[in-house]
Order: sequence, then C-alpha cells, then structure tokens
Amino acid sequence: MTENPYYYTLIMACATVGFIILSSLLLGGLARLIAKLFGLTKVKQDNTFAGYFFAAPWIVGFLIFVVAPMLASLYWSFTNYRIPNAPEWLWFQNYTRLILEDKEFRSSLVNTLFLTVIGLPLQISFALFLAVLLNQKTRGERVFRMSFYLPVILGFNAAVLLCWRLMLNAGNGIINQIIRALSNGFLPFSYLNRAIIFIVELVNAFFLGINNQNFILLNKVWEAGFPAANRVPMWVQTPLWSKMSVIILMVWGCGSMMLIFLAGLNNIPKELHEAAEVDGAGSWMRFWKISLPLLTPYIFYNTVVGMIAALQIFEPIYVLYRDNATLAPTAYSMVYYLWRATFRFNEIGYGSAISWVVLVLILIVTIIQFRLQKRWVQYELY
Amino acid sequence: MKRTAFRVSGKVILYVVLTFASIVMAFPLFWMIATSLKTLQEANSPQIIWFPSKIQFDAYIAVLADPDFLRSYFNSCFYAALALVGTLISIAAVAYAFSRVEWPGRDLVFFLMLSTMMIPAQALIVPQYVFFHRLGWIGSFNPLVIPGYFAGGAAMVFLLRQSMAQIPKEMDESAFVDGANHLQIWWEIVLPLVKAPLATVATFLFIGYWNNLLGPLIYTQSSKMYTLPVYVAQLLNINNPTQPWPTIMAAAVLTTVPLMVVFFFAQRYILESVVITGLKG
Repeated sequence: MTENPYYYTLIMACATVGFIILSSLLLGGLARLIAKLFGLTKVKQDNTFAGYFFAAPWIVGFLIFVVAPMLASLYWSFTNYRIPNAPEWLWFQNYTRLILEDKEFRSSLVNTLFLTVIGLPLQISFALFLAVLLNQKTRGERVFRMSFYLPVILGFNAAVLLCWRLMLNAGNGIINQIIRALSNGFLPFSYLNRAIIFIVELVNAFFLGINNQNFILLNKVWEAGFPAANRVPMWVQTPLWSKMSVIILMVWGCGSMMLIFLAGLNNIPKELHEAAEVDGAGSWMRFWKISLPLLTPYIFYNTVVGMIAALQIFEPIYVLYRDNATLAPTAYSMVYYLWRATFRFNEIGYGSAISWVVLVLILIVTIIQFRLQKRWVQYELY
Repeated sequence: MKRTAFRVSGKVILYVVLTFASIVMAFPLFWMIATSLKTLQEANSPQIIWFPSKIQFDAYIAVLADPDFLRSYFNSCFYAALALVGTLISIAAVAYAFSRVEWPGRDLVFFLMLSTMMIPAQALIVPQYVFFHRLGWIGSFNPLVIPGYFAGGAAMVFLLRQSMAQIPKEMDESAFVDGANHLQIWWEIVLPLVKAPLATVATFLFIGYWNNLLGPLIYTQSSKMYTLPVYVAQLLNINNPTQPWPTIMAAAVLTTVPLMVVFFFAQRYILESVVITGLKG
C-alpha cells in the first residue's frame, strides 16, 4: 500500500480528517463538561461545545505544529542533536559557535542588513511612487493595478525566477543588452549608468568589507576609479552585484506594499487637499505636506513587514545562486542559511539554535520599530 | 487657456509613465513567453531579439514529451488539490467558531491565533522536520499536505472571519428556531453566503501551495516526487556550456499558466483582500 505515494497520502489525509473530527468531539465534550461544572445554562453549554468543536482544528494544530515544535527546538538548541544520533546536552555551545565563530551566519546577518538599509527604502519608495500614480484616478486603472500586482503572484515561483536569471545574465542577458544599447546611443545615459555602477560597487564593497573585516576590496574599487565606458552591471556574476539582483526582485515585487499605500491614500480626507488647493498649494507641495505625513503609519507598517520579509527571502536566492558556492554566501538570507546549515548534515541542534536566534531577532526588530514609531509616525495632521 | 494645456500634458505624461511602468513590471512574463518560442541560437544571441523570427513550438514539444516534467506537474496538482480541500474546509470551520458562536475563551484563542502570524513559518521547519521524521513521513507528500488540515494560515482564517461576521445574526437565529444545529447552519447557511471570500482564500492558498519551494525541497527526497518548482529549478545546470533556454522557458510558461488563470479570474477579490488583511503575497 505504501509503495504508491499518492494512495499513501490520500489514506493519511483521510486518517487526519478522522483524527481531527475525533479530537474536535473530545475537545468540545470536555469544554461542555467544564461549562456544566461552572453551572452555565443549557444554551451556553451547547454554544461552548460548538465553539470548541469548530475551533478545534486550529487549537489542535497549534499544539502539534507550533507549541510542541517550539518547545522541542528550544531543548534541542542546547544539544548536539543530529539525526539519527541521540541528543547530548551542550549548554550554550551552539549559540556561541553561531554568534562568535560562524562566518556564513555573519554574512547572512550582513546581507539582511544590506537588504534592509539599501533594498527596503528603494522598495518602499517605488511602491509609494506606483501608488501615487494609480491614485490619480486614470482610465484603465484596474489594468495598471493588475500588472503592478502580478509580480507578487508570480515572483515566488521558481519558473519566473529562472526567467529573471536569464534576463540578468551579465553577458547576453536582455537587461545588460538594453543598458549597452542605451549607453552607446545616448551619452548622458552612459555616464549615469557608470555613476550608478560606481556607487553600487563602492557600497557593496563596503558591506563585504564589514563581513570580511578588511576593506581591501573597497580600496581596489576606489583605486580602479570611475568605470570605463563599456562597463555593465555584473548581476549574477560577482559578489559586488549578487545582492543587487535580489534587490531588483524585491522592488519588482512591491505590489502588496503598493496596495497598502493605495488604501492609505484613499483614507486621506478629500477636504484637506481641496482646502490646500484653495490656499494655492501645488500638487508637489500637497504631497509633501499632506499625503506623506498622513501616510507614515502605512510606511511604518510596510517597513516592519518588509524587514521581516527580508530575513526570509528564500526562493530568489535558491534559483539565482543555488549552484554557485562562492557567490551564494554573499547573498544568503537568514532563512536560506538556516535551511542550508540544518539540512546539509541534518544538524537539528544547530538548526534549532539558528531558528531561535531568527525568532528573537524578529521580535527585537518589531519592538524597536514600535518604539521608534512614536517619534515619526503621525496619525493626524497637527 | 494655459492652465488647461498644462493639465492635458500632465495627463499625457501620467499615462506614458503608467504604461511604461506596466510594461516594465510585466516584462519578465513577455520575455519568458518570447524565449520559449525562439530557437536555441536566438535565445543565446548576443544581439537583442525581441520576437522570434519564426515561432517555434519545438521547446514545448520537448518539454511535454519529458515524463519527468509530466510527473512533477501531476505531483504539483495532486498535492496542491489535496492540501487545498482540507485547508479550506478547516479554515471555514475555525472562522465560523470565531465569528458566529459565542463561547468562553474565544477572544483569548483568537488573540493567540493572531499572534502566531508573527512567527515565521520557516522558524518552525527544523523541529517539524524531526516530528515528520519520527512519523516516518520524510519522502512522502504527507508533510506538505497534512499540516494544512489543521487550519493552516492564520491570515486566511482572519480574512474569512471578517466576512462571516458581517452576516446578520438573525439568519442563524431563525434557523435555530426551526431546529437546525450548528453543523447545518455552518454548511447550509453561512458557507453559501461567503462564497466570494472562500474563493479568495482558495486562490491565496492555491498560489501558496503552487509556488512552495522550501517544503518540497526538504520533504520530497526522490526525483519521482519533485513538484514543479523543484523540477524547473534544476533544469538549469551550470555545468552545461549553453543552457537550453527555450526548453527551460517553455517549462516555466507551463508552470505559470495555472497561476495566470487563477489570478485573471480572482484578481478583483485578491486586490481587495490584500488591503483587508495587509498580508504579503
């Protein structure tokens, strides 16, 4: 029976349904019993039964798939557990190894920092830009909105990411071909392109320097000076560009953020804009003085969500750098590193420690954000 | 006079910018389709070739003749469908408990559920892997399908709960008087009234399952059980001197077709609900 994987999973799915119904009945019955002991009326007893009966799938799943795993992984993170060996208690060795010795973990931290400091502002401003464009109430707004959101649906599929890899090919990828054609035909674009390349390479060399704790590469980039006329970005080719490809994908997939901003723009009272217009404020002025301050709660929300998302980027890194062992560490996200470190040698103990560090980091980031929020988020004008 | 001319040119610029942005955003899709219809020489050409000089279906024929591709397509459909049904029904049940029934502890449990949205799913994969390992489920579809049956996805429960809470209370009260029980009210009265939100949730779930890469990578260990994303990703082999891009892109197009179809039919609801839940992807 278990030879055929499809029948096997079908049978197990049916068994799961049976298990869930049974545990729902049990949980509901237990709740009704307790309600009876507390002397609730018959109707309230019935409602208690029904409530726990219907909520049971989530409650049971929460215990099995969230609470139990978290407790177990907390225990394993202090052991050297490696399937199939039994765990042995290590105290804090996993954590000290992770924080003090593990170079690849440190690069995943620096990469996440890079994506947050450089990528997230680009992503948020592009999302805001698109939202403001859409908010002009043009004809065909729905079609535009659809095409701006489409990348969010497609962007996590390996198939579409492979297409990006084709397009980002440094030699004959379409993106560099377009850049070359524009540079050759239009001199200011060539200078702009080279200036961007120079800045990107300096910033990336700086972050790689933090990671390696020496700035030789930064010096080299600086001494090489302003890029030559035939230079193009080396997207999926060198450590100086590996993170930029991920940022391009982040910016491309900004549709959810855009929708949040669009909702925010819709919530701004029309009267404010009308009153300002009467006073002679232009649209540029009104954007800076009215829209932007009132959008700060939405910017805040997108920043929190975006930072947590940056920790978890997985698919793009897998598709772009899976087979490139030297380049991959320069673009790892923390979750990608978690996957690699754990499942290469089934190191459950070490992986559990990484999971807990990631969890605590997310918690800290969120708390800091909520603290800082008070300083710059405006819920009302004046 | 001057002012209207200014307005008109502003509108034109707006449309130009919007159209340009749309083209840029949809460009990878166009490029995927265009490349899949090219010859190998055209796909690897150092010149820009926007459209294939002669439309080639060779890549599609090659992909569709590959039993590995067809098997991974079936695997994806099988696991996504099976997981979708269970997840959808359990989510509908839990949303009913949170919206239509008054029970002690409801607010606490609801708060707990919302706070799990803060926990990234990936932080739990390591201990869950051990759990499935002990059950002997590694190398089967079970770890990809079964967890969904326990109302996987707090954001989806939240979305459905919001819709169910808007149904007037009198609906089920009159049914109670007629002697119906909760199970009947849930299935026969409430669920038919939330068909559109159910379709939205189903769409989100489908997209999530269809795109899932990390889960299949961890749990399906033989190539016979590859789902589409895993299969497609390994088509690119850096050791090859030239990549068979038309074939890879043909497989990619066939992989994204279900997503496109689903998005086309459900886009209105999707765009609305993203704002309700504020969820990502």
